Amino acid sequence: MIRLENVTKVYKGDVTALREVSAEIQSGEFVFLVGQSGSGKSTFLRLLNREEVPDSGKIWVAGKDLSKLRSWSVPHFRRSMGCVFQDYKLLHKKTVFENVAFALEVIGQSRPVIRKNVPAILDLVGLTQKADRFPNELSGGEQQRVSIARAFANRPKIMLADEPTGNLDPSTSVGIMKLLDLINRRGTTVIMATHDRSIVDSMQRRVIELDRGVVVRDESRGIYD
Amino acid sequence: MYRLWYYFRETFSSIWRNLSLTMAAIFTVAISLALVGASLLVREGAERATAQFQEGVEFIVFMNADAAEDQDLAIRDVLDNSPVIASYTYIGQEDAYEEFRNLFADKPDLVNSVSPAVMPPSYRIVPSDPSAANVSELADQFASQPGVKEVATATEAIRQIDDFSTRVSQALLVAAVVLVGVSALLILNTVFTAIGARRQEIEVMKLVGATNWFIRIPFMLEGTIHGLLGAALAIPALFVVDKQVLAFFQESDAVPLFRGFAVPEGFVWDTSIWLLIIGGTVGMIGSAVAVTRYLDV
Repeated sequence: MIRLENVTKVYKGDVTALREVSAEIQSGEFVFLVGQSGSGKSTFLRLLNREEVPDSGKIWVAGKDLSKLRSWSVPHFRRSMGCVFQDYKLLHKKTVFENVAFALEVIGQSRPVIRKNVPAILDLVGLTQKADRFPNELSGGEQQRVSIARAFANRPKIMLADEPTGNLDPSTSVGIMKLLDLINRRGTTVIMATHDRSIVDSMQRRVIELDRGVVVRDESRGIYD
Repeated sequence: MYRLWYYFRETFSSIWRNLSLTMAAIFTVAISLALVGASLLVREGAERATAQFQEGVEFIVFMNADAAEDQDLAIRDVLDNSPVIASYTYIGQEDAYEEFRNLFADKPDLVNSVSPAVMPPSYRIVPSDPSAANVSELADQFASQPGVKEVATATEAIRQIDDFSTRVSQALLVAAVVLVGVSALLILNTVFTAIGARRQEIEVMKLVGATNWFIRIPFMLEGTIHGLLGAALAIPALFVVDKQVLAFFQESDAVPLFRGFAVPEGFVWDTSIWLLIIGGTVGMIGSAVAVTRYLDV
């Protein structure tokens, strides 16, 4: 499903974000990326999303060699993955329903398809009652659910989550993790970067630990440390 | 269908959100295109005015009032047989007196002081080659004939009108070109502002896999609409120029030649279509530059 081979990424000013990273992730896996700030977790995710390109090494996602991906086909490639962020990235002038519908609208789905799918997704994340609310009327946990609903609207094969619980209190975080677990059980590969020790320890999933851009640990049923 | 609706909705909501800059862009386009149009009209008018004159270029050979009959016949013989003379009209002493009386009807003293006998008879001549150089050469030839009092040509007037209209239309054109450039920059900035106002939306669009053209098209439509609306505003101005300014010249007695300064309505409409094409193109280019430089997709 996903394979990285000796991937190195250096940012301007000689900041090495990742050094000779290799990893392989199977379809349907749930993977935690752990490590301190600046260890390269976000870069790892951004490379998979083709927001960044590696300076050396190769990356395959869903059978595609990303180095051979033409820039005009990147949008279509991105439709096969959903992204969730710490700061939700919701549009504040749109309602919950419109935020989710937007993801389908911009990839050219027709209105009947949107009207049919959005309520189903809102039901999945438990926000049917709040479809007409605006993001700033919701709690942080609810906003993150909207963001997950949007990422999942297109039924992606892969879900990338960068610190999705970073702004949430522990009990709300549990709810979000249950949701991501549900999505994973439906067949979507989930890769989540996190600092949250208790979540990683309780989920008992695969853990890849990065330290200053190098993979220092890769355990199939790991804990945070 | 859904997609078209989406583009128009996005475009118009963006224009609405950015109304003051949009108005500035549209009015600048309108003013510059009105100048482009005015310059084209003046040039066309001048061409027609001088062309009309050239068709009937007359240089006039005035004979001495007491010219001998054989002198008169000699001139007539040249005019009848010369291949370079297309046609001519003879104005006899009675006719000349009649014209003089009409011209100075409000000055009876002057009219009373002359009689048909002192009026010089004249030949009004249409040469087959109406170029100014040829006319003055022919005029010189006739002036040296016996019995000829003087030869008057219209070449000086033609040169004046050509000069005048060339200068006016060139000045307008230079101003217009500068302003068209300014409008392109203003459209670029307006679209740039629109892009800035929607940064967040664009980021999300890229995230969920919107294609680059899907993101670009509403902005390019926006710029094109600025150009087209500006042109649409310039078109009435064009008709005002046609009706008021050109009409002023036509009615003016100061320079009789300007009476030919008319432009047919069809030409004004043709110019209008050109303004729409120029406006739309300038808008599209301005927004395309903004999109490629600032959109990063």
